[in-house]
Amino acid sequence: MTEIKQGDIVLQARGITKRYPGLVANDHIDFEIRAGEIHAILGENGAGKTTLMSILFGLTHPDEGEIYVFGKKVNFRSPLDAIDLGIGMVHQARKLISAHTVLENILLGHPHAGAILDMKKTAEEVKQLCDAYGYKIDLNAKVWHLSEGEKQMVEILKALYRGAKILIMDEPTSALAPPETEKLLETIQLMTKNELAIVPFITHKLPIVLSVSQRVTVLRRGKIVARLNTAEATEQSLAMEMIGREVLFNLKRPDVKIGKPILQVENVSIYDDKDYWAARNISFEVREGEIFGIAGVSGNGQQPLAEALAGLRKASAGRVLFQNEDITRLSSLKRWKKGIGYIPSEQRAVGSIGDFSLVENLLMSYYYDDLFVKWGLIDTKKIRQLAQELIKEYNVATPNPDVRARNLSGGNLQKMILARVFSRKPRLIIANLPTQGLDVGAMEFVQNKLLEEKKAGAGILLISEDLDEIMALSDRIAPMYEGEFMDILPGGSAQRETVGALMAGHKQKAVEV
Amino acid sequence: MWEFWIRSLNASTIFAIAGLGEVVGQRAGVMNVGVEGAMLFGATIGFIVAKTTGSYLLGFLAGIAIGALIGLLHAFFTITLHGDQVVNGMGIWILGFGLTTYIGSPYAGPLGMGRIPTIGGLSPFFFVALVLTFVIWFVLFKTHWGLKIRSVGENPTVAEVSGINVVRTRYWSVIFSGAMMGLAGAVYALDYNPVWSYNLLMGWGFIALALVFFSMWNPYILLSGAVLFGALWQVSLNPESFLPNIFSRYIWRTFPFVITIIILVIMSTHWFSSRWGAAKPEALGLPYEKD
Repeated sequence: MTEIKQGDIVLQARGITKRYPGLVANDHIDFEIRAGEIHAILGENGAGKTTLMSILFGLTHPDEGEIYVFGKKVNFRSPLDAIDLGIGMVHQARKLISAHTVLENILLGHPHAGAILDMKKTAEEVKQLCDAYGYKIDLNAKVWHLSEGEKQMVEILKALYRGAKILIMDEPTSALAPPETEKLLETIQLMTKNELAIVPFITHKLPIVLSVSQRVTVLRRGKIVARLNTAEATEQSLAMEMIGREVLFNLKRPDVKIGKPILQVENVSIYDDKDYWAARNISFEVREGEIFGIAGVSGNGQQPLAEALAGLRKASAGRVLFQNEDITRLSSLKRWKKGIGYIPSEQRAVGSIGDFSLVENLLMSYYYDDLFVKWGLIDTKKIRQLAQELIKEYNVATPNPDVRARNLSGGNLQKMILARVFSRKPRLIIANLPTQGLDVGAMEFVQNKLLEEKKAGAGILLISEDLDEIMALSDRIAPMYEGEFMDILPGGSAQRETVGALMAGHKQKAVEV
Repeated sequence: MWEFWIRSLNASTIFAIAGLGEVVGQRAGVMNVGVEGAMLFGATIGFIVAKTTGSYLLGFLAGIAIGALIGLLHAFFTITLHGDQVVNGMGIWILGFGLTTYIGSPYAGPLGMGRIPTIGGLSPFFFVALVLTFVIWFVLFKTHWGLKIRSVGENPTVAEVSGINVVRTRYWSVIFSGAMMGLAGAVYALDYNPVWSYNLLMGWGFIALALVFFSMWNPYILLSGAVLFGALWQVSLNPESFLPNIFSRYIWRTFPFVITIIILVIMSTHWFSSRWGAAKPEALGLPYEKD
């Protein structure tokens, strides 16, 4: 291989086309990537990013088109071919084996790993890489002990150790706390100095793209709609290219009178599945017409807390009061009947049953209602009619209510789940990552629906990893870190940086409010 | 007493060899609950080949070969066809039970060959089991091969994107696993008790299977467990020499199985899994499908 210089074209795609039944995921995609540049690929969910990424990494075959790596035409049969040619991938859902050590993960599948593993030599070589990029990580730690940021480091190290010259990153900042994000950006800028090409694929968090990348390619519905030098782009113009219309980045927070407390949580502690503390000594209250936002990177105890409040997990200590009544030991069904609505974070695994129709999924919130089920018999006509009404009201794109839930897109499925929960007129809504994985349009819809519920006087507990969402919607904000609330700040006046630092565990002595 | 320990260690040899095979398969994410069936095949085919050719070597090779073939069958159904591992394993047991009874009955009776020489009464296969324990531990934890096997058992998707051929790795692990079971069966029928009779293994394969869970997928713990169960088995055979006139000997005979059940129940409790659960291969029992 000839020496690569800054600015050389290292990867070129020509006319990449991939069709799936009923849609063209990639429609004649052309672009090239140069050594030493950060070239962001931007697009909504469903714009064809995942397909394009899979094609570049050899996971999927294009129907048409050619890929050139370092000027040579290539035909990937598997990821191994791509890896061997110097393409590395940092996945969004970390592709690491949690039971193995960092070193074992880095070494797995490495062509130069001899039959008998030389851990000492590998450790030294990886250490050099770590030093070069200022990484500090215990190479013998088991991966499940690591934070999200550290896991990402391991993925990057693994790719670099395999000799990657082109690093594809899928939503690199999505699971990181703000300081970790900064560290990542620093690192990738450092890497570009070593002729590495970085290709982040990004949906949201537009400012980050703007801050570090040199060029941006925008995808929409499988086509490239814009190629820009970052210097010429603005956040607004990129968003417009992405979704084809202007987005409202400033949600209107309605003026709602905050009423009396509806949910009171007193010193609640929860264990996780491995019998470690997931949340400790949590106390707060949610009032009528209030959105209480819990900000945190996932895995800091928000999930067990939400489950405990929904009655899906035992609280090992403390009390939960709903409308002044102790519900700590009530089953979830009794909680639903009392007026608690729960939007789980996993739409497909927990929020719906994929093989059931939308009507049947709707029934999951109505099977205990005498109006719809009498003497154990379901009033099919009535529930179907309700389903039709809700589909219309919530703008769910589906030909009829008998479609199976698995066939709905993420956004439409989430609308259906909201419809199911909100139509029961809950007094308290626990919304766990309600906009995660949704495209900008659906996200806006969900956020507006939450605000509507707030206007109707419901108390809302919003759990989100998206700091912008939390800042835009919440009346009060609790940054959560390692199972504890770092503080509770008023939503209107809290500083973005303060919340960001708190959710990364940096407790400041004097937090200015 | 000496006699008792020799018998125990000889019995534990068989538990250990079959269990080690199952450890390798399960580390790669494929459970084979039909250990008993694969062992019955190894025992019966090994016995028949040895008896007809008069060669111990051919007998053992035949046992290993038929075991590997059973492993291949299990691999094909569970890996290629994505069948349920437990259901298919039960199928292997029932197949082994039925077919070996049919094939073996004409050969019922003693082997009628000179016994394999012992070392002070101890079977040479005990030392084979010791070596195998070390080799399998070394391969699993010190080699790239072992890392690949453990990776496809923990998270096949990750292994795939690391450039590992998941299907091939699992196939070889399961075939090897079957070969070990076949060998264990052949050791039983040619060395431990060289007589063919109906259902000659009496559930030893299931004890070996339970040992794998007991061992937390570690070859050394498995070996110790095998010795423990070898001794238990001897106690259950001759309870009079230890605790005379307490229970009927038929109740004693159930002891190894009762203890197996108790151990498995303890191991499946939340209390246990929250402390030691991390040892279990995460993808164990799950078919791998590329998306």
